[in-house]
Amino acid sequence: MTSNTENIPMPKSNRALFLEQMKRTFRSNKLTGVGAAIFLLVVLAAIFAPLLSTHDHIDQNILNRLEGPSDQFLMGTDAYGRDIYSRLLHGARISLIIGGVAIISAMIIGTAIGIIAGYYGGRTDDVIMQFNDILLSFPTLILGLIVVAMLGPSMQNMIIAISLTSIPGFTRIARAPTIVIRERDFIEACRALGYRDWRIMVYHILPNVLSDVMVMASLWLATAIRTEASLSFIGLGVKPPEATWGGMIREGFENILDNPWLSIFPGLAILLVVFSLNLLGDGLRDAIDPKTRED
Amino acid sequence: MFIFICRRLIISIPTLLAVMSIIFILVRIVPGDPAQTILGDQASASALDAMRERLGLNRPLLEQYFDFMGSALTGDWGESMVTGKPILGEVVNVLPYTLELTFVAVIFGVLTGLPLGIWSALHRNQLIDYLVRLTTLIGLSFPAFVSAILLLIVFAINLGWFPVISSGGRDDVIGWFRDLALPALTLGTIMTAYIARVTRSSMLGVLREDYIRTARAKGVPNNIIIWHHALRNALIPVVTMIGLFLGVLVGNSVLTEIVFNRPGLGKLIVGALGQRDYTMLQGLMVCYAFIIIFINMLTDLTYGLIDPRVKYQ
Amino acid sequence: MPNSTQSRESDTDIILDVRKLRTSFRITGEWHAAVRDISFTLRRNETLALVGESGCGKSVTALSVLGLVPLQNGRVEAERIQLGEHNLQGLSEEEMREIRGNRISMIFQEPMTALNPVLPIGHQVAETLLYHRKMNKEEANKTALELLDKVKIPSTSSRFKEYPHQFSGGMRQRVMIAMAIACKPDIILADEPTTALDVTTQSQILALLNELKQDSGMSLIFITHNLGVVASIADRVAVMYAGKIVEITDVNSLFAQPTHPYTEALMLSIPRSDRDIKTLHSISGQVPPIGRMPDGCSFAARCGLEQPICRKLDPTLQPIDVGLTHEVACWVRGDYNLTTIEERANG
Repeated sequence: MTSNTENIPMPKSNRALFLEQMKRTFRSNKLTGVGAAIFLLVVLAAIFAPLLSTHDHIDQNILNRLEGPSDQFLMGTDAYGRDIYSRLLHGARISLIIGGVAIISAMIIGTAIGIIAGYYGGRTDDVIMQFNDILLSFPTLILGLIVVAMLGPSMQNMIIAISLTSIPGFTRIARAPTIVIRERDFIEACRALGYRDWRIMVYHILPNVLSDVMVMASLWLATAIRTEASLSFIGLGVKPPEATWGGMIREGFENILDNPWLSIFPGLAILLVVFSLNLLGDGLRDAIDPKTRED
Repeated sequence: MFIFICRRLIISIPTLLAVMSIIFILVRIVPGDPAQTILGDQASASALDAMRERLGLNRPLLEQYFDFMGSALTGDWGESMVTGKPILGEVVNVLPYTLELTFVAVIFGVLTGLPLGIWSALHRNQLIDYLVRLTTLIGLSFPAFVSAILLLIVFAINLGWFPVISSGGRDDVIGWFRDLALPALTLGTIMTAYIARVTRSSMLGVLREDYIRTARAKGVPNNIIIWHHALRNALIPVVTMIGLFLGVLVGNSVLTEIVFNRPGLGKLIVGALGQRDYTMLQGLMVCYAFIIIFINMLTDLTYGLIDPRVKYQ
Repeated sequence: MPNSTQSRESDTDIILDVRKLRTSFRITGEWHAAVRDISFTLRRNETLALVGESGCGKSVTALSVLGLVPLQNGRVEAERIQLGEHNLQGLSEEEMREIRGNRISMIFQEPMTALNPVLPIGHQVAETLLYHRKMNKEEANKTALELLDKVKIPSTSSRFKEYPHQFSGGMRQRVMIAMAIACKPDIILADEPTTALDVTTQSQILALLNELKQDSGMSLIFITHNLGVVASIADRVAVMYAGKIVEITDVNSLFAQPTHPYTEALMLSIPRSDRDIKTLHSISGQVPPIGRMPDGCSFAARCGLEQPICRKLDPTLQPIDVGLTHEVACWVRGDYNLTTIEERANG
């Protein structure tokens, strides 16, 4: 037999595979791209809120209160004469900031805890996961409600509350691949070489966990924004006169019989953002989950 | 089987105790003085002291803890700081409303979600599938209060089919139904969305399994494969997910009760929040804890009933 | 070239006649053939072994015969797949369903995942009887009990209601076999049934299969990558490589005179205690990926004996013995009129 020098392709790194998969997802599932695009638009609108606003969003204007959509007020005015359109834009900022910061911090904390739990296993794992599952089974809204009620309504506390409700999910997601990777031989090799635990966790386990985590992050961002809106609706949101979507609906609710648009516009805004994120996250998750893949 | 139930019950107890302890700690972390909050800024020092005495805040923490745990477990959840009425009583009053709402929503969700999910899975990547996936995604994206408000606007205010404010009268069936319809629909559609999606993905996963191939290799008729071989396996994760979704439902019922002005646990919580009724809040949190743990246990049990592999652990 | 598979002593002995089977799959948009125009026959009460490494198309062949290739991304084409008097190619799904589990059965490699975890095994065995023999529940269960006995599962009456996870691997495979023989099929397709079992259980299962085959007169297509198993169970062997049959003959001739270079290499790779071997032999190189099959012989790059024509034309099966029972697809080792072939290749 001749010895062959046929080209055996080098296995691609996890990151390269991941990116490839992402590209394929966006190409094959158009809706994912649509979701991403819509969300991007919303983010841009939020960033450029001051530029895009037609009026100052806090300015009260009693003479023009409760007017319907017109040339001057694109989406009408609320009970205090404030321009709904401008308030909507600024509300986007608040929702996105709260959601974004909450999810990012939850991602960091939750992933860390999850990797630790998965890596060390045994008692540590059991205890952590017990707590985690209890937190997880608490309805998000109730948990957030309790926390904000305890701490008092403010942007900061809202972020804390939503972050807290999101952490258990990340812990779960990070733990599963950690357990799988922990058993792999190269981890044994690292340990045999004397690597410190945290080194293994950060440099070897974390990169593999990250793709799963990021995919779920978009879905949970959707939940976070939804929770923030719900809490604001209950009255626990950022205090007026700041504009929050949930708060706007709450205020609009009092006038719902005669002026339904006060509630409808912010409602649609929430729906749009959450829906686009769900589209995006769903598509990403379908790409990764072997059960629903095309092949 | 009986042993299985007992074991599950026993495991739930430490969890319950842990949660209640956490609630105890949480309530006491709250910044501010409850006595002050109740009596207001004008209250005199002696009045404040008396209130604190009444609330038991001056006793050693450990004593408070045991007192709390003991009374909570025996059914004495204290009295509302605002109304003075026993909390357990208040809760029992409104519980039926919340329960019936949740129950009907779940039934609705299962009856509509399961068939949709199965249908979607069987016609994977065809029009039906895309439609179902899209609509369920939209359904999921609605915060409960938004869909509640929309339903209210369309069906109650504009069309007048249902009352805008629920009458609360439970005497006649039609009145009861009209009160329940829109709130149940709000929550029910959320359940439908969740259940349909989970059923679909579970079914898709099951249909790829080896044992389905074996069944086909045996020449088993196709509808038997779907309904007998595949569905029983596909339902297992669906059941466990329903347990999780019940939690979501319980949370969202708060929003629904506000919008439709329905009595229930949710309204109690919001009322307690607004009035800073700490003992009520504490009692309600204990109540929710009981509910959550009960739901978890129920899910575990159902799971054990469906999946023969679980029974023999 | 004469088609040797036709000039046999008694054609009525042939239970399955597969001619030019080509099964393709759509992979990232393009169709690629996993099984490339293979032909073989199976006679009554014969055990034909399909041997080859993973991915050579042996499992796909079995699935194609039974019509189990998923149609969204798969396509089965053949001149004919003749089971007795039926051409399976032209049958509707409903008609195929009546063949499956009834006249042709299949047993699979992983008994744990191949059995439904939530249904009692007694029911799973009785199922084919319910649907193909139209028995009622009692009869079917009774027969199923007898079948479980036949495959030597102890305490059948108590185990009848149990679930797959309560059985060991070997036991599960026996259950699979019971399922397969329930309707007394003409042919059993066995897709690596012993690969997932330990050696002792493996030999028990093989013995059981042999016994059942003798009792019932059925035929067996046994798929494996293990030549040792082939030696103990097969009557005839077809060696597959990259979707084609490269050598086909009776088992004795295969081991006595492995002719195709691939078969030879396979034989050399088996560690044997009766030979003085210093190093383990392996075949260098790799099987060409399904999307990039070379024009000529797919084994040429790893062969060592290849000639220019090997790279240009794919060899066809050609008998190398007088009895026309030993066929090889190799320009170098086969018996061809090479000059005419070369002319055709170049012309």
